[in-house]
Amino acid sequence: MNNIVILPIVIPFLTGALLVLFPKYVMIQRLLSVLSFLAVMGTAVHLLQQVGGEGIQILNLGGWEAPFGIVLVADTFSLLLVITSCIVALGCLIYSFQSIEWERERFYYYAFIQFLITGVNGSFLTGDIFNLFVFFEVMLLASYVLLSLGGLKKQLRAGIMYVLINIVSSMLFIVAVAYLYAVTGTLNMAHLSVRVAEAGQPDLLTAIALLFLVIFAVKSALLFFYWLPESYSAPPTAISALFAGLLTKVGVYAIFRMFTLIFYHEPGITHSVIAWMAGLTMILGSIGAVAYGNIQKVLAYNIVIAIGFIVIGIAVFQEAALTGAIYYLIHDMVVKTLLFLLGGAMVGLVGTYQLKEMSGMIRNHPYLGWMFFIASFALVGVPPLSGFFGKLLVLQGTLETQFYVLGVIGLLSSLAVLYSTMKIFMNGFWGENQLSKEDEKTSTHGLLLPCTLLICVSLFLGIGVEWVNPYVAAAASDLMNPAVYIEAVLGPA
Amino acid sequence: MEILMSITVGVLFMVATYLMLSRSIFRIVMGLVIISHGAHLLILTMGGLQNGMPPLLGQEAANYTDPLPQALILTAIVISFGLTAFVLVLAYRTYDAHKTDDLDQLRGTSDE
Amino acid sequence: MTFLHWAIISPFLLAILIPFFYRYIPKIHTGWFVFILPLALFGYFMQQMLQTTSQGGVVEASAPWVPSLQIFYTVYLDGLSILFALLITGIGALVVLYSIYYLDKKKEALNNFYVYLLMFMGAMLGVIISDNMIVLYVFWELTSLSSALLISYWFQRDKSIYGAQKSMLITVFGGFAMLGGFAILYSITGTFSIQETIASADLVMASNLFIPAMILVLLGAFTKSAQFPFHIWLPDAMEAPTPVSAYLHSATMVKAGLYLVARFTPVFAGVPEWFWIVSGVGLFTLFWGSLSAVRQKDLKGILAFSTISQLGLIMSLLGVGSASLYFNDGVENALYHAAIMTAIFHLINHATFKGSLFMAIGIIDHETGTRDINRLGGLMTIMPVTFTITLIGAASMAGIPPFNGFISKEMFFTGMLEAMEISAWNMQTFGILFPVIAWVASIFTFLYCLILFFKTFTGKFKPENFDKHVHEAPIGMLISPIILVVLVIVFGLFPNLLAYSLIEPAMQSILPGVMTGGERFYVDIYLWHGFELELFMTMGVIALGTLLFIYMKKWSSLAIYKKESDILNPLYDGSLSALVTGSQKITRAQITGRLRDYLAYMSIFIVLLLAYTMFRYDAFSMPTENISPIPGYMWVLVLLFILTTVVVPFINDRMAVIIIVGALGFLVAIFFVAFRAPDLALTQFLIETVVVVLFLLAFKHLPNLKKERTKPRIQVTNAIISVGVGVMVTLIGLSSYAFRQENGLESISQYFIDNSYELAAGENMVNVILVDFRGLDTILEVLVLAIAALGVITLIKLRMTGREDV
Repeated sequence: MNNIVILPIVIPFLTGALLVLFPKYVMIQRLLSVLSFLAVMGTAVHLLQQVGGEGIQILNLGGWEAPFGIVLVADTFSLLLVITSCIVALGCLIYSFQSIEWERERFYYYAFIQFLITGVNGSFLTGDIFNLFVFFEVMLLASYVLLSLGGLKKQLRAGIMYVLINIVSSMLFIVAVAYLYAVTGTLNMAHLSVRVAEAGQPDLLTAIALLFLVIFAVKSALLFFYWLPESYSAPPTAISALFAGLLTKVGVYAIFRMFTLIFYHEPGITHSVIAWMAGLTMILGSIGAVAYGNIQKVLAYNIVIAIGFIVIGIAVFQEAALTGAIYYLIHDMVVKTLLFLLGGAMVGLVGTYQLKEMSGMIRNHPYLGWMFFIASFALVGVPPLSGFFGKLLVLQGTLETQFYVLGVIGLLSSLAVLYSTMKIFMNGFWGENQLSKEDEKTSTHGLLLPCTLLICVSLFLGIGVEWVNPYVAAAASDLMNPAVYIEAVLGPA
Repeated sequence: MEILMSITVGVLFMVATYLMLSRSIFRIVMGLVIISHGAHLLILTMGGLQNGMPPLLGQEAANYTDPLPQALILTAIVISFGLTAFVLVLAYRTYDAHKTDDLDQLRGTSDE
Repeated sequence: MTFLHWAIISPFLLAILIPFFYRYIPKIHTGWFVFILPLALFGYFMQQMLQTTSQGGVVEASAPWVPSLQIFYTVYLDGLSILFALLITGIGALVVLYSIYYLDKKKEALNNFYVYLLMFMGAMLGVIISDNMIVLYVFWELTSLSSALLISYWFQRDKSIYGAQKSMLITVFGGFAMLGGFAILYSITGTFSIQETIASADLVMASNLFIPAMILVLLGAFTKSAQFPFHIWLPDAMEAPTPVSAYLHSATMVKAGLYLVARFTPVFAGVPEWFWIVSGVGLFTLFWGSLSAVRQKDLKGILAFSTISQLGLIMSLLGVGSASLYFNDGVENALYHAAIMTAIFHLINHATFKGSLFMAIGIIDHETGTRDINRLGGLMTIMPVTFTITLIGAASMAGIPPFNGFISKEMFFTGMLEAMEISAWNMQTFGILFPVIAWVASIFTFLYCLILFFKTFTGKFKPENFDKHVHEAPIGMLISPIILVVLVIVFGLFPNLLAYSLIEPAMQSILPGVMTGGERFYVDIYLWHGFELELFMTMGVIALGTLLFIYMKKWSSLAIYKKESDILNPLYDGSLSALVTGSQKITRAQITGRLRDYLAYMSIFIVLLLAYTMFRYDAFSMPTENISPIPGYMWVLVLLFILTTVVVPFINDRMAVIIIVGALGFLVAIFFVAFRAPDLALTQFLIETVVVVLFLLAFKHLPNLKKERTKPRIQVTNAIISVGVGVMVTLIGLSSYAFRQENGLESISQYFIDNSYELAAGENMVNVILVDFRGLDTILEVLVLAIAALGVITLIKLRMTGREDV
């Protein structure tokens, strides 16, 4: 029993609550926000070391043992995601200092971000399925508010669609939990795993599993990604970058957790469906990325492609692929956010989203251009940058499990990523410079620092892979062995 | 009784889905309210509608209704309420800003 | 990390310093700082060659990078790699020297140029010296990248950007394919080390993934070395400054594909697929390239296609030579060794004459301002040194004695003639094609060499065609091509200088195990072979080529001559734009922007998926045990409830809808009462009241409800979907309930019933669960309410009027 496990949830919760009290004092808001995330990161890293030494850390809330009370479970996978979320959130936070208009800042903007992170971290750390629903709602509601914060017409329009689709899937989440409770009589994830295993996952449970799959697929933009390009182009850059890096990944986490811990008994059915969805997502995402000439849409479709690729890891259900998927997940969180931030800076300078209207920015903004260049190639998966190792491992996984088609689609989608990001780079930075310094709408002052931070993280993930490997490999192996999780939560069998 | 309630819940979902596939935001919000009722009733049904006593220990009965679904429903009611309130205001603001309730007219411009 | 490891990294390190040299020491051309490095490295590699590899030795060392993934930074310097290393550093030094005079230090952004160039040099060295396939891939992609950056060096020009994009797409695509091939090899052998893979070649050959792996690796090689049909990026790459063309696109980068083929010959060769694909593609490229070169009007264009053609020549020789791995013993074998030997020899020769020709063309371009053969002419007297250089280079390329090109051309013919004699792989039928294609292609080669030379230097000099005052180049620019041309002559007159120092060790790497126990290949190259068939073939080439040239006016009005661009280019451009347009169409079709469509997709998917699963596996069931009875009043309640619900979609008055929906909520509360849930009923009453009040408050602002204006077809679809959803929910619900009753899994709530009072001191179990057992849920639901409240405040109060359209 480790009390520290709740800190990544409590710290942002309390900070957010505190920030609500004095929304007009912007400087204190900024300071406290940064401190909060740094504190969370610190505790998560500490927990990671503890997990490495002592095994999975749990906290039975209220002292009620599992499966009767709610339990928080910190295993390597969850902690890695918590740490990465904090890094991403910090990046977006620092970026917001410069880019978010003061009106938004004074209307509880920082508090909502804290609440969002509360929901995110909670989703990663909870071990109870209804609690997962509640944490999801916290995260989603905070995102609804952030999306529409400011009340611009396009925000409202995008907001309605985003909110409605998510509420539907949330209601379906309740339905699925109801079914699951009816069948198994419990809500605790480890206990569910035991009971589903005992029942042998008959087909009714498989159907319920598929229902969960669709629900989380909607949340993570797997196959049901229609809402994403339109919603993510509405809010200010810092917010859309935060969404791009975080929100969909929580859905992916849920899929990973469900289908490795609880519903892993019929991979022929469940994981095949996931494989189909992954393949289709990558194809449709690639088509979308190639089609548009609007920088935000191109980047949004790149999110979709990445989600499809990450999910291959769970579809083939094999350790190497899973390791690769986790690498790629972490890398994608960082690099996607980075690209959105950089893209936002570009748009801010030129005042338009259309690539056709941009040109030659590298003359005046070489640093911005080269960061975008490096980030794009990290996304494509060119070594020694961060995306490569994940890609390689996933590829190996598909080979070993004979999912050749998925491997081929994965490589081809990388080409689409290359084409689409190069489209942005070449249109925006090369060519004749049409924009003189006076014409620029905003400056990049203060925006490049967080981008630099994120790019350093990405470079570290690439060149320093050997450092990260023990953690990722441990995370993957734990996922493939549900018994470890169950034993930690419920005690030895 | 469970069979009857399951059918009822099915009807709720059917009507709610029909409403949510509508073009008018107002109808969609109504659909959301109905679907949340459906979800809540479903949880209750799944827990079993036994004819035991209400879950109050003071009653000292032989068997009680399952308290856990009831607690879950309470949480779900509150969350749905929060969502409903927010969506309602969002819908009102959207109508206010765009002067239309029709989702087809609110379609985003397709940028190329 | 040994010295060799650092040697490969050194160009990258120098590249970091270059911007500082450029910024702070502008008086000295930055190129001088760069020049020292390749020169030094060349010296180092020469020393390694003389000491180690020419004796058959190998330099090998390994440093860990990601050991857990089997990725080691292993360097392996043998005959094959030292050959390339010398080419890279030697020609690199010459190119840098040339660039110092070519690129004006005031006008050009030299820091970028040299950074990219150094990056390339280091990456290229990395490719050829790495033993680990993944590290090789890293450097391979770096060469693609740096090449693209160099092509787009003058990035304001649209053509440069186009050329860079094309080269990047094609070569990176090839890189991915190669990576796939490497991954397959790894899955068979368990190692990324090339040498270890060679040792396990039998394992590879026996696997059923052998052919896919081979094709993927070959894709990588063919794209990088501009083989048909991937050659289209090379002509567009000529947008780069000429030093780049001389370095990357003739002497080094494009040879990387040849290196790959050579290096992996021991793994894949000896099978008919390899033989036919490699030789076939090579021969066709040879032919296609030479034919296309004739059509070019731009001097650099001629050289580009010529390079493509010559690379095809070397590729076809590597293909033919692979036969020696099939016929492991016997006299036949020695003939195929010769093919490999020729391949290596020509690789060296091509670097010398093509490099010199590119530099010469660059001089002409630099001094006259044009590369168009229709405008050039009569430069013989004005630029005598350049004239001589071009004469020697072109003569060697055309295959005229006594230059090195002549020798390798003769040996090439020999190789093709021998190929005819292969007693396997259907060569009896098709073998005749080899020498025939080779011969025809050589005629065209001869022809374009004549065009190149005579059109530029002979004929009338028309000064009005040029913007500048034309004169000979400064001595600095001439040194490098002169050195290369000297090598052309030397290798022609004394070819055996290379025999055992470079060529033989390289052959050992390509055909390991053929020569057992320290034996060496017999390598003897000489000028005069006697009056053999090859000599007659050459004479035929010269005769026909000259004839074609003399009658050039006759056929130069043919349509096929007028067009310059490769036929495949429209295919590339067309497919790329079709891809984009097609994508747009598909995207627009499914992303309709309508929420209804998205919800419909989702619902249909869920209903169908779940229905399929349930039906297929017969999972439906009806609960029969443990069902509570239905008292009479419940029937009434339920009926009332269902009626109320069903009415809602048909109401068109908003007030009425609000009231009805409110009533629905109150009915739910009554259900809660009936089902023994007093707390729920209380809460529901409360909340429903608040909701109705909220709706009424907003009543003023809500729009009038109109009748649904959707098309009946859509309404019917909606109805069907809704029914489907409703039915599925009910059926699965029933089945779930039935399941537990049949299996009797005890719910965890028994614990709550047992312990609420003892452990939690509460009699109301539901409250105890909310507050104690599952307290976290409750705190969070409060948080949700708080966020919702704040959200509502924000929505109402904060109405920004920002840039609406952006």
